[in-house]
Amino acid sequence: MKSGKFWAWVVFIVGAAYFFIPLMATVEFSLRMRRGVHSFDAYQIVLGDARFQSTFLYSVVAAIFTIILGVLIVVPAAYWIRLRLPQLRPIVEFITLLPLVIPAIVIVFGYIRMYGSNSPLPFLGSNMGANALLVIGYATLALPYMYRAVDTGLRTIDVRTLTEAAQILGAGWGTIIGRVILPNVLIAVLSGAFLTFAIVIGEFTMASLLNRPAFGPYLQNIGANRAYEPAALAIIAFAITWGCMSLIQILSRFAPKSSNRPN
Amino acid sequence: MAEPFLSIQHVRKSYGSNTVVQDFSLDVEPGEFVSFLGPSGCGKTTVLRMVAGFEDPSAGKIVVAGKDITRLKPNQRNVGMVFQAYALFPNLTVAQNIAFGLKVAGMNKADADKRVAEMLDMIKLPQMADRYPYQLSGGQQQRIALARAIAPKPKLLLLDEPLSALDAKVRVSLREEIRSIQKKLGITTIFVTHDQEEALSISDRIAVMYGGKAEQVATPFEIYNRPATKFVANFVGTLNVLEGKVTDAAAGTVQVNTQEVSLKGKLNGSKSGDTLSLALRPEAISLDRQPGHDTSLSGEIAEVHFLGSVIRVRVGIGGNTVSLDTFNNSATPPPVVGEKADISFSSGDMLVLH
Repeated sequence: MKSGKFWAWVVFIVGAAYFFIPLMATVEFSLRMRRGVHSFDAYQIVLGDARFQSTFLYSVVAAIFTIILGVLIVVPAAYWIRLRLPQLRPIVEFITLLPLVIPAIVIVFGYIRMYGSNSPLPFLGSNMGANALLVIGYATLALPYMYRAVDTGLRTIDVRTLTEAAQILGAGWGTIIGRVILPNVLIAVLSGAFLTFAIVIGEFTMASLLNRPAFGPYLQNIGANRAYEPAALAIIAFAITWGCMSLIQILSRFAPKSSNRPN
Repeated sequence: MAEPFLSIQHVRKSYGSNTVVQDFSLDVEPGEFVSFLGPSGCGKTTVLRMVAGFEDPSAGKIVVAGKDITRLKPNQRNVGMVFQAYALFPNLTVAQNIAFGLKVAGMNKADADKRVAEMLDMIKLPQMADRYPYQLSGGQQQRIALARAIAPKPKLLLLDEPLSALDAKVRVSLREEIRSIQKKLGITTIFVTHDQEEALSISDRIAVMYGGKAEQVATPFEIYNRPATKFVANFVGTLNVLEGKVTDAAAGTVQVNTQEVSLKGKLNGSKSGDTLSLALRPEAISLDRQPGHDTSLSGEIAEVHFLGSVIRVRVGIGGNTVSLDTFNNSATPPPVVGEKADISFSSGDMLVLH
């Protein structure tokens, strides 16, 4: 028993070291811009850079639209599959996993061929079209996370009985989804939303190949041309991602409670 | 006769080649409380779900208050329903749950609040308005579900095994409460259950279902005392079934084992030599000759179970075994296994099962 505990601690310490040592080294390096002393100069330069602000804002807006599009597609689809088409679940789960096995570069080359300015659907013929295409591409990349989060949320409630209870009380589909289903899976939807946000903020391939002024290409550009700023940017991006994860944890405490899940 | 409030006409439901409800018809009077009683898979819930609109009948028609509702969606039927699993909305408080149907119907807030308060008083839970479903016991949740179903004043109330998930004590008190509320409001109600005691105790009429058909539709008294089929007789209450052979159809005599029983006037359509199943309720049999008992059969005590106030005795009569209950009497010891015993009963209590 004691030997088991000892090895458990060894594994934990090795794992923690593997994770934290590069992180601490990056933090330490990002503070070394001023010769001989530790300072936040690299952070000041990065945060004061107009391109940082514009690209970050662009990616935040893209993330918000991606989340809206993802929720509009995934919530009704996952709900309908649970309610009426459970036999389609394995097929839909397979489809939602495809973005994990098909590289983003393949998807984006497909988009460029399909939606070029000479195609019947010329998304790439205008800035707005290219932005829309980027959001659609991001929604595809986030699909595995969004679908699983929502489906897990739906699994915690009796979708069929709640739907029937609402129907017999006179509710139509809009009321059922808006007032019964969505509020009960809201935390799951938010989890999916934050995962989507984290993906969109750091995504490089699609934004770069579609030539969009997003945060991912900016990160790459800074990384290729500067010394200390990329480390500061990496820490900032890391903080944003962890902030999102923490928000999921905090919000899950406010989930609607049920008899099965009273605490 | 007044026009029925709910008329289920020759309804059938098939899933592919599997027919779960076959040619089911039933007329329910206004304010009547009718129970669908039967074993699992007999089609009782499917009929209820067709009345609610959750299943489309493969054939037949459902009429409520003279209006054909067969093809209407559930939210267009003005029917209230209580589910086995309560189905309260977890994100809404008790008051919001009860007000849900009222809001959907477009009632203004003041009227809705008044109606919610009325409903909470009716189910005797006025202090629970701000609680969430997870803060309530199963019995309380089901009472809230009942209030929610009744709040929009539906034409018809459907109860789908609402007591099955509750413990025995709560089940008895809640079924009495449901019946008293139903009587007070005069709302036409269909109650689905597989518990015969529940159905017998609260229904105006019972439809006993088996294999997707109504075997018998009658009052609880008739169902228990005059079961129309062998299934009804066996399913409702405890029943002793004796195999007998008609010895003289004209005289109404039947041989059970080697002993003769007279069943004058009960052998309609039977011929001498036919084999019959004869049924007797345990409470119609006694171990000693009682006034009014005109028939007796000799046998041997096969089993004795002492249950406190009651002693359950099984008597072997040839190839048949008859079960009967006697009250415990401290002055008289219970019978002993292997003893010879005569059982007596009134031939009028004997049922001939077809």
